[in-house]
Amino acid sequence: MNKEERLIKRYKAEKRFQFYGKAAIFMALLFLVVFLTKIFSTGYTAFQKTWLVIPVNYNADLLYLDPDKKPTTEDINDADFYEFGIETFITLDPDASEDQIMELKKMFAFTFERELKYYLLDNPDSFGKTVDVKLTASDDLDQVFKGNYPRDIPENRRRASDYQLKIFDKLNEDGRVISEFNASFFTNADSREAELAGIASSFMGSLFSILVCLSIAFPVALLAAVYLEEFAPKNRFTDFIEVNINNLAAVPSIVFGLLGLGVLLAVFGLPRSTPLVGGITLSLMTLPTIIIAARASLKAVPPSIREAALAMGASKMQTTMHHTVPLALPGTLSGTIIGLAQALGETAPLILIGMVAFVNTIPGTPMDPAASLPVQIYIWAESAERGFVEKVSACIMVLLFFLIFMNLGAQLIRHKFEKKWN
Amino acid sequence: MNKIEAKNVDVYYGAKQALFDINMDIEANKVTALIGPSGCGKSTFLRCLNRMNDVIDICKVSGVVKINDYDINQKDTDVVRLREKVGMIFQKPNPFPKTIYENISYGPEIHGVAQSKSEMDNIVEESLRKAALWEEVKDRIHEPGTGLSGGQQQRLCIARTISIKPEIILMDEPCSALDPIATAQIEELIDELRKEHTIIIVTHSMSQAARVSQNTGFFHLGKLIEVGSTDKIFKNPTQQQTQDYITGRFG
Repeated sequence: MNKEERLIKRYKAEKRFQFYGKAAIFMALLFLVVFLTKIFSTGYTAFQKTWLVIPVNYNADLLYLDPDKKPTTEDINDADFYEFGIETFITLDPDASEDQIMELKKMFAFTFERELKYYLLDNPDSFGKTVDVKLTASDDLDQVFKGNYPRDIPENRRRASDYQLKIFDKLNEDGRVISEFNASFFTNADSREAELAGIASSFMGSLFSILVCLSIAFPVALLAAVYLEEFAPKNRFTDFIEVNINNLAAVPSIVFGLLGLGVLLAVFGLPRSTPLVGGITLSLMTLPTIIIAARASLKAVPPSIREAALAMGASKMQTTMHHTVPLALPGTLSGTIIGLAQALGETAPLILIGMVAFVNTIPGTPMDPAASLPVQIYIWAESAERGFVEKVSACIMVLLFFLIFMNLGAQLIRHKFEKKWN
Repeated sequence: MNKIEAKNVDVYYGAKQALFDINMDIEANKVTALIGPSGCGKSTFLRCLNRMNDVIDICKVSGVVKINDYDINQKDTDVVRLREKVGMIFQKPNPFPKTIYENISYGPEIHGVAQSKSEMDNIVEESLRKAALWEEVKDRIHEPGTGLSGGQQQRLCIARTISIKPEIILMDEPCSALDPIATAQIEELIDELRKEHTIIIVTHSMSQAARVSQNTGFFHLGKLIEVGSTDKIFKNPTQQQTQDYITGRFG
């Protein structure tokens, strides 16, 4: 082989190498695009909610109220809106049989009583009049309307009956089926009914867990890292500690869940299913991650800065607190956020400490029972109803946005506070 | 009286001995240059004078180093107070990644020198003037010190050191990272500082030693071969090794 050929071969090898690199990036991007497309195409419909607008006659007799007197809030609250609702539904098909009436009722979310009542409370002038009221459609009709639910399979294999579909189509022709932004997805807690289920409980649960996790893991990890890196003598014992911290970072998260179950719940008797316990468990998991990040950042602070401070007559602690730690903080913070993002997506340990319980209230404090976003995904993915399929994807989207938001924060902190030295 | 007296100083890095039985006296308000080939222990000796070797875990120092007739190698010596008296300039300029003002106010602040803001302003200005940096930076003292040029950074470090009025200033090859013009400025400064401070400077450049110092010590392989007035060392050394080094036969 002469020199010329060897050169050509080298160029070719380089081209091939670059191609492999590009192919690898392309593949990673392809997976990402497929993943995101799937989630968005399945999930975006969850942000829309189907309503049925039906004429309601707030007739005093139907409500067993005095027609001559304007009802007080108390009167309305005491009135029976279940029977009233049924009577209202019958107006959609006056010839309906007993069974068909039940089917009519099932076209609406079971909250129709409340919705009818709240409309009247908000619009007391409607009393005695016939007005159009927006009622939440059942999840079956919601899915039919969104096109997620096939209509052409035999009736006994689908949840919306022919009769319901007939009424629904008639309403649709009259423009009485509307689709609007699904605010209740963000404001409602979990529900057994897909059309009513929301992420407020799990979002707050995740938020509280992360806050508890941060407030425990960050100071403990920072102190541990600073002591190990700046003060501790380098000997067998500290080597042993270092190895164990690295091991701890590799422990499967479910083990931390068992620890939380066995120690926090069983021994200390902390309240089950709460973000407090979840946060503490997650902080155990996040601790080694932050310690490792903090130690790496401390190591990256040039020794010349420490020497400069020491030579000025600063004590060891002044040197550490005035110079080393502030310089290591950006790296530590972004490591912390990455650790927290990991904790945010953690499911297994939370299931073990009971955050998988069905919670239909929004937690106000970390001591209240709550779910968390990834556990919510797990719960919904397990549910049989069709309406939960899109909810799963929507919840994933919210979780992803949460994560992107946090990672952006990490980047920002790094750029903003990173100081240059030479 | 001698400002510093070192007696029988041995330094070990782990099992390796770096300095062998150093005995050296250093006169007050003079510039003493320490010269010698790389790895001869001159920087190690310098770091014995403000106990900076404490920072290195494996480093062990024995012997007596007396400053103002007080042995600084005692167990209960307060290194914070020692380093307040014995400042140090490093090979590479190492300003804190803070503003010029903060770089200089740091020392007076931790030692509680200034009582008020205006007093601190005075200290900062005075230090910068003494370091011949004031005119260049007076309009931007609240900008980062790391934004200055190399020579300016080194003068900033000198200003930082003299802000707490140390009696002794140790300089560890302060010009090795600087260009000739910046070097000339620093050398001029050293001559100026000698009036108020005792200066010990480690240098690789023999011409620099000849220019700035009154006394010179020559180190070789961890031993102090010869010490005396710079004139005598350069013109009429008593040891053959010194002669060889000065004339450039090795090192």
